[in-house]
Amino acid sequence: MGVTDLMSMAKPNLESRNKILSRLRGKELVNCFQCLKCTSGCTALKLLELKPHEIVKLVNLGFVDELPSSDIIWTCVTCLKCVQRCPQKASPYHLIIALRNQAVEKEAKVPETYMKIVSSILETGLAETPQKIVTRKMETVDRECLKLPKVRPPKESFQACFMKAMEGKKC
Amino acid sequence: MTKIGVYVCHCGLNIAGVVDVENVVEYAKTLPDVVIARHYAYMCSEPGQRMIQEDIKAEKLDRVVIATCSPRMHEETFRGAIAETGLNAYLMEIVNLREHVAWAHTHEPEKATEKAKALVRMGVARAKFLEPLEKRSVAVEKSVLVVGGGIAGIQTSLDVANAGFKVYLVEKTPSIGGRMAQLDKTFPTLDCSACILTPRMVDVAKHCNITLLTNAEVMDVKGFVGNYEVSILKKPRYVDSKKCVGCELCTETCPVKIPDRFNESLTEKRAICIYSAHSVPKIAIINPEYCLRLKLKKNVCGKCQAVCEAGAVDFEQKPEIIQVKVGGIVLAVGSEVFDASSIAELSYGRSKNVISNIEFERICDAAGPTGGKIISPKDGKTPKTIVFIQCVGSRDKRFNEYCCRVGCMVTLKQAILANEKIHEPVSIYVCYSDMRAFGKGYDEFYTRAREMDIDFIAGIPSEIHSAADGSLYFDVYDKSTNKLLEIRPDLVVLGTGLVPNNDMAKISALFHASRSADGFFLEAHPKLRPLESAMGGVFLAGACQGPKDIPDTVAQASGAAAKVIDLLSSGQIELEPLKAVVDKEACSGCRICEAVCPFVAIQLKLEVVKGQEKLAAEVIEAMCQGCGLCGSACPTGAIKIEQYNNKQVLTQVKAALAEACAEGGK
Amino acid sequence: MLKVAVFWGCCIQSNQYAYEMSLRETFPHLGVELVDLNEAICCGDPVKSVNDFAADFLAIRVLALADQTGLENLLVPCNRCHFTISEARETMRNPKIAGKIEELLREEGLEYNPGIRVWHTIDMLHDLVGLEKLKKALKRPLKDVKVASHVGCQIIRYSDLGRVDDAENPQKLDDLIRALGAETVEYAEKLDCCGAALTRSHPDSALSLAGSKLKAVQALKVGGMVVSCPDCQLMFDAKQKNAGTTVGAKLSVPVVYYTQLLGLALGIDQDKLGLNLNQSPVDQLLSKISA
Repeated sequence: MGVTDLMSMAKPNLESRNKILSRLRGKELVNCFQCLKCTSGCTALKLLELKPHEIVKLVNLGFVDELPSSDIIWTCVTCLKCVQRCPQKASPYHLIIALRNQAVEKEAKVPETYMKIVSSILETGLAETPQKIVTRKMETVDRECLKLPKVRPPKESFQACFMKAMEGKKC
Repeated sequence: MTKIGVYVCHCGLNIAGVVDVENVVEYAKTLPDVVIARHYAYMCSEPGQRMIQEDIKAEKLDRVVIATCSPRMHEETFRGAIAETGLNAYLMEIVNLREHVAWAHTHEPEKATEKAKALVRMGVARAKFLEPLEKRSVAVEKSVLVVGGGIAGIQTSLDVANAGFKVYLVEKTPSIGGRMAQLDKTFPTLDCSACILTPRMVDVAKHCNITLLTNAEVMDVKGFVGNYEVSILKKPRYVDSKKCVGCELCTETCPVKIPDRFNESLTEKRAICIYSAHSVPKIAIINPEYCLRLKLKKNVCGKCQAVCEAGAVDFEQKPEIIQVKVGGIVLAVGSEVFDASSIAELSYGRSKNVISNIEFERICDAAGPTGGKIISPKDGKTPKTIVFIQCVGSRDKRFNEYCCRVGCMVTLKQAILANEKIHEPVSIYVCYSDMRAFGKGYDEFYTRAREMDIDFIAGIPSEIHSAADGSLYFDVYDKSTNKLLEIRPDLVVLGTGLVPNNDMAKISALFHASRSADGFFLEAHPKLRPLESAMGGVFLAGACQGPKDIPDTVAQASGAAAKVIDLLSSGQIELEPLKAVVDKEACSGCRICEAVCPFVAIQLKLEVVKGQEKLAAEVIEAMCQGCGLCGSACPTGAIKIEQYNNKQVLTQVKAALAEACAEGGK
Repeated sequence: MLKVAVFWGCCIQSNQYAYEMSLRETFPHLGVELVDLNEAICCGDPVKSVNDFAADFLAIRVLALADQTGLENLLVPCNRCHFTISEARETMRNPKIAGKIEELLREEGLEYNPGIRVWHTIDMLHDLVGLEKLKKALKRPLKDVKVASHVGCQIIRYSDLGRVDDAENPQKLDDLIRALGAETVEYAEKLDCCGAALTRSHPDSALSLAGSKLKAVQALKVGGMVVSCPDCQLMFDAKQKNAGTTVGAKLSVPVVYYTQLLGLALGIDQDKLGLNLNQSPVDQLLSKISA
């Protein structure tokens, strides 16, 4: 390809791009004409500088290699406003989720918290197990004293199946 | 002895790139009754046609088979060429080797060639049984119905009337002028819209060849191209148009307020009023849904009648049905402005200071609800910050996918007008994705706007908020400067796009004019026949065929006029002879054909056949499209379609099923 | 009694006990019996960012577990679980993915039933139980109480998926609040996000988002804020103090679950509704109601 990004000397990687596009619900990402509605209304823009339109454009042009290892893809609040308002149904949110999945596959930077949750689910079935909490009057309570039923653990077969699912991919 | 000539066209590489044309020609030579077979690069060209003509003379051919592109392309051309030699034009058969072979089987050339040979074999077999036919002429009405009295309808009517034809111009609202009458100025010249429009409106009203029917709608259309019978409902104004002088005394006394449609409901009018600022005709009209006397059907109020010096008010006026005969119809019913209340996040309908571009236009107009003063509707004060937002309801898969074509230019115009009219300091912003200034003088107009201290923000906001005190605010990201801007406008003008007229479904059904996926009328061919609908004799002009600006509308309107004049000028139209024909003796009067015909082209009539009175089917030739439904449905076989009788069709079928290697020869 | 299966998810069963308590207490009064699934399991929402196939598997597995109850309706009180399950159902239209997931389910003797109707608290009350039935069951309708509703993000967006309420003008939670006799208020920040998704990876930003919204609600001078998602409650209620610090405001906004408010109007005891568990100053609101 005769294109180079002179800032980073990166070249478009169409294979990677097509891989990402195939993970999305539809191919509409390529229809984005940069109206900027997504970024204008992005909940994470002011605090974390997330610019959905920029990520979409980078992917459309094929400059995907830097994205999975970037921090920015983990700033999305998943409010879904961009999906709701995009006039071309390009959905930056779904793209960001696909990029996060790629980051995990490439073993790039992934916030610790996500992998911790996966371990918890594997072990207990839940992302977090029942905790003791404090009332407004500073008393400590738990499910038992609140007379809530015990939490039923998953079947034994669950762990193996979840592991298999984790090894699987959409496509 | 039948003598058939077979001509295989290369069509450049369209056919020859896939089909082995020489092979097909060699094969054709082996078929029965074929005396000569040739191939050529472009059969439709002059030398190609001449080649066929010379062979007809030299070989005394009495049938011709041309294996080429779809008959829809050049059937008429070849018929003309053959007729020139004295041979009947209908003794020619076209075999489609392009759309049906080369283009359908591009990746299988060997199989395609075999199919080409089979089709030629079928064509040759059928050609033997073709019969000579003649076109018939039918007289046409030299008058035209124009539906819609906006600038498109006005232009078409004047062109057709000036050419000497009678025009019936039907307009739904009480005045002609349409959208253009609602505009303050027009881009890119900033001409005063009313100033350039009203002379034409007056010309229409005064033209001896134009019958202007306002406050009227077409109810029914019968007949066929050249001979339409149209029923028009003239709704009552409850004012005698011969007596009313347009003094408007009645309006001043009327106690009932009604929404002012012409001013986009930004103000109110009275139940009796003149419809718009420059109404043609300038005759008052009473709205029966609001008028106390008409709504309650009681002898109340009547103030207008009391004050009218001309005695023009007539509460007893009845609707009139007017029947006219016309030869052609031009649909010029215009378009509607997108209702932005469906985009809830933009606060249109919730905040008074968020308005549409057509509402802004009315505010800008000196003859409008604010006398031309630009104000924020909420408090009536002059705005300090105005924002225009583009592509509202357009280029949007959630609403309308198409670009409205005029939105960018309308906004540029309105931004420039705001800048010129507001004398206090004012900030004007345009939030856009793309700026489409494609026409003559349009980009220069954009340059002018940029010179005028109007700021362009490359980004569209996601939503518009109202704070607790009702003031507006929103964020927009500008991709040029990479800045997130918060804007607090006093007035937001939404660049609402154009959508099909509200009555499109009804009009489409009435005139059998199909619509494209976007809801506008479908033209016969998007590139080469943009002014005609697929229905014969029905033409299209203006925004009803697709959103467009005034120059394009006027051009299209004159074009449609030329088309309809062309259709009617000779006073006759020629009818294709490939139609149904009824053997009245064999007809049993069962009416099945009448039931199946989609064109209302066959009717049962009481006739005397062989001395006996019976109910027999009769084909209305001008309506008949030769589809063949009646022929196949007829239980007694009384109906045949010319050139498609049983022998002709079954011979083709047999030839299709024969082996590829033919026997026999000359 | 209409029996419906209920899927709680992780958040409610691990710390948002007030939601679970108030739901278990109030629904029987409205003729709905809640039937727990055989397992407490994650819907897959946090796994989406790691492996969205595994996330879909988990969500569909929840539906398979619901199928085992033999019931037609499944209540999913958490916004995020509801969205995750709704999206997973759409994904099941892809035969390749559906095949892989169903194969994994079979290994556990589970089966996917696409016919189960999935509800959230809001639409189950608004559309299945209905406002009239709700009003009839009230023992102590609320009076002179004005609140701000916060419906959240993932049950109203994105419309194409078919959500619980309108994305730009959601009114069902407001209708439900009004059915109790209280008033609601429209405000510009109504659709703003609570920020919960960032609470572990970008805690300050999450608190900033929650704080900004609370500040806006505080300025409305209403009796409190009503939510119906455990993540939103976590941000606005449990983390209100920290959110206030982050945005530099002294926040004092009572935040309750709708079901807690419903319980009060049904005449149920405060402690049974978990009102002692709310960290925000709900006593301000409760005193208005009991008065």
